[in-house]
Amino acid sequence: MSPLAFAVMVGALAAGAVAAMVWPSPSGARRVSLAAAFVGCLAALALGGGVLLSGVTWAFRSEAFFQPLGGLSVRLDPLGAFFVIVVALTGAPASLYAIGYLRHLDGSIRGRTMHALFNVFLASMCLVPAADNVATFLFAWEVMALSSYLLVVSEPGQEGATAAGLWYAVMTHAGFLALLAAFLTLGQAGSLEFGAMRAGGATLPAAAQAIVFLLAVAGFGSKAGLVPLHVWLPRAHPAAPSHVSALMSAAMVKLGVYGLVRVLFDFMPPLSPWWGGTLLALGVVTALTGVLYSVAETHLKRVLAYSTVENLGLVFVALGFAVLMRGYGNGVLAAMGLVVALLHTLNHAVFKGLLFLAAGAVVHGARASSLEAFGGLIKRMPQTAVLCLVGVLALAAVPPLNGFTSEWLTFQLLIAGARYTAPTLAITLPAALAAVALVAGLAAVSAVRLFGITFLALPRTDGARNAHEAPGIMRAAMVLPAVACLVLGLFPTFALTQLTAVVAELGFPMGQFDAGLSLALPLIGSRLWPIGIAGLVAAASVAAAAASWIGRGRVVVGPAWNCGRIAQSPRAEYTAAAFAEPLKRVFTGFYRPTHEVSVEVHPVSRYFVRAISLRTDLVPWMEQAMYSPLVRAARLISTQVSRMHTGSIHLYLALLPAALVVLLLIARWI
Amino acid sequence: MRLFTKIIRTGVVTEPLPAAAAEAVTLAREIDRRSTALFGRALAIRHVDAGSCNGCELEIAGLAGPVYDMERFGLHFVASPRHADMLLVTGPVTQNMAVPLRKTYEATPDPKLVVAVGDCARTCGVFAGSYAVAGPVDRIIPVDVYIDGCPPEPFEILQGILAAVGRLDGARSGGRRG
Repeated sequence: MSPLAFAVMVGALAAGAVAAMVWPSPSGARRVSLAAAFVGCLAALALGGGVLLSGVTWAFRSEAFFQPLGGLSVRLDPLGAFFVIVVALTGAPASLYAIGYLRHLDGSIRGRTMHALFNVFLASMCLVPAADNVATFLFAWEVMALSSYLLVVSEPGQEGATAAGLWYAVMTHAGFLALLAAFLTLGQAGSLEFGAMRAGGATLPAAAQAIVFLLAVAGFGSKAGLVPLHVWLPRAHPAAPSHVSALMSAAMVKLGVYGLVRVLFDFMPPLSPWWGGTLLALGVVTALTGVLYSVAETHLKRVLAYSTVENLGLVFVALGFAVLMRGYGNGVLAAMGLVVALLHTLNHAVFKGLLFLAAGAVVHGARASSLEAFGGLIKRMPQTAVLCLVGVLALAAVPPLNGFTSEWLTFQLLIAGARYTAPTLAITLPAALAAVALVAGLAAVSAVRLFGITFLALPRTDGARNAHEAPGIMRAAMVLPAVACLVLGLFPTFALTQLTAVVAELGFPMGQFDAGLSLALPLIGSRLWPIGIAGLVAAASVAAAAASWIGRGRVVVGPAWNCGRIAQSPRAEYTAAAFAEPLKRVFTGFYRPTHEVSVEVHPVSRYFVRAISLRTDLVPWMEQAMYSPLVRAARLISTQVSRMHTGSIHLYLALLPAALVVLLLIARWI
Repeated sequence: MRLFTKIIRTGVVTEPLPAAAAEAVTLAREIDRRSTALFGRALAIRHVDAGSCNGCELEIAGLAGPVYDMERFGLHFVASPRHADMLLVTGPVTQNMAVPLRKTYEATPDPKLVVAVGDCARTCGVFAGSYAVAGPVDRIIPVDVYIDGCPPEPFEILQGILAAVGRLDGARSGGRRG
């Protein structure tokens, strides 16, 4: 089963990449290559599902590639299979969606390149969790980074696309270097095979362990948007086309989580609790930073990008908790932390994929990207609105959708951790709990704002007034993750049982979650019965519908009350910035907004004011404080280096032998 | 500490109830009894200033002030016509307020009552004939009860409200009112 599925996956994605370039008709190229991507994702789903359900690890080696570095080595264990499923679950709807979304690029070479790169991107993301040696892993990682970079800069008209691409490229390559160093430290035994690292990790000296931990957190954290390495996320996501943003936010950043789980739990021995605490604290800071900016930001896709930062923060909270508990030697709680981290990874992948696709449909339909330019879209794109509502409810962790389960489990973890281990944790974990609760509340505010400002009230611009519903295939593609949100929310035990097996395979057995429809945590004993919640919600809705049906004769439908104003205009509406204003005031120390008031007065007397204008900006000051010295240094060095590049061929020819001589001298000494 | 000494030193400065106060209390109780019978709850009033000189407003505010304190009898002013049973309209209706007044009336759920407070609301008073005035209240919306006075005292306003509630009470069998 596995070899066949793997072959179909690689074959379909390769065929898709080739077809995109050579298929004679442009629309055919789009359809064929994206359909091939869809088939590839289904095969990846079968591959991952097969390994996960059977629990049989599948391995494959070939000496034909990367020979000096150890050959191509693929090994899919349940952990890798889970991440292949995450990629496939978001890749399948994204490829279907792109068939409708990229129709306007037919006939341009840019369109063909994008379809080809999309296939390559998917293939590399499926390969990363399956890689079993450093060469294969870093190769797949780099292909993933490059193809996504090219996709980010693929819309040249997009403002800031080039700068966003530059940020992304720099961050991802700095991360690559950190990973390379981490793997070389891990592979001190001489072998760059993951199997050897798994065996030799326990003998690593303490200093090397600390170095690997820090490098891995930096390297994988830069991909996963860990604060302060998240700077590329809010830049790259708005610039990229929406189906690519969906893949990047839902799948690619998750591979950072994969790498960290692989290194910290598969290769490394239990670490000192300090490291776990550090990771947990980083997660809390990430979640808070992400959610605070996602509440204040007014660019639709940047709101979603910051919300990705926030959700990855929650994943890191659970991961840090697992490292911490493992450090204390509490295997069951460590296993639970891992399971929750993985579950939230899956849940976030599903609903954020859906939200980015919906955002693409909105941006496409209303021809604008700022929340302030929308409004009233529920009347013009009702189906997209309903699908987006499902994603928004999951984002706000409203039961019975999937976001709720993992958030509830995170709370349970933090409560339980204080109870079962050291007294220091009884003080620090409740603080983390409070921060996570704040994050959950603010995330709900952000979700309400996102949906309300975009879809409700009156349209604010002509673009929103003339918005049109997305093409059928885009809506169909969005139905898939929406259904997944509901299913994962209603039947979390299915996913949790599989994840328990994944974690047990890594060497962290935990008690069985109660099988069946209700969920009971081992050790802690809390119970959750999603079907019951859904039943209550359904019963309440039925009762409300019945009440309104019975009383329908007495209800008079009139126009909305607008305080007696003569004409209802969108200028009276709540804007996205106004909605966030109270929070900006409460957290003014965090945001540090800049206010600029300019008053224009009449020349005769300053008591006659002609116009007052206020300009307020939200500059992420932490980023500036951290990165502007780095950027300045890089500028300085590059200006110095560029002096050498005079354009004179004579100089270059002279430099060549000089370099050769220097190299020979060095070789002689060594 | 200074606050407390000041409180003690100043003592109670609220004016004693006027002679008619006992009567006002019976009146308010009566209004509350009737509105409970009619609506199943206390009476909710929406006040609309259609262009008044604010003399009437002062007297209406007196209803909620410490002397009368009508909230204790369930007479309360609400912020939206959607919540109201009764509109309390003051002043001559200005050109600018004609449409909002009409809209407010339409937005008030049935059964509804309109009480026009003050001489201006009935006759436009000294503002009659002004270019800015659209006319008395009954030119714009149907009025149930007029309360005369420039301005009427809170006690008179209470009487008017009671009369309006009684009117609705009597007309309940045959539709709302003329």
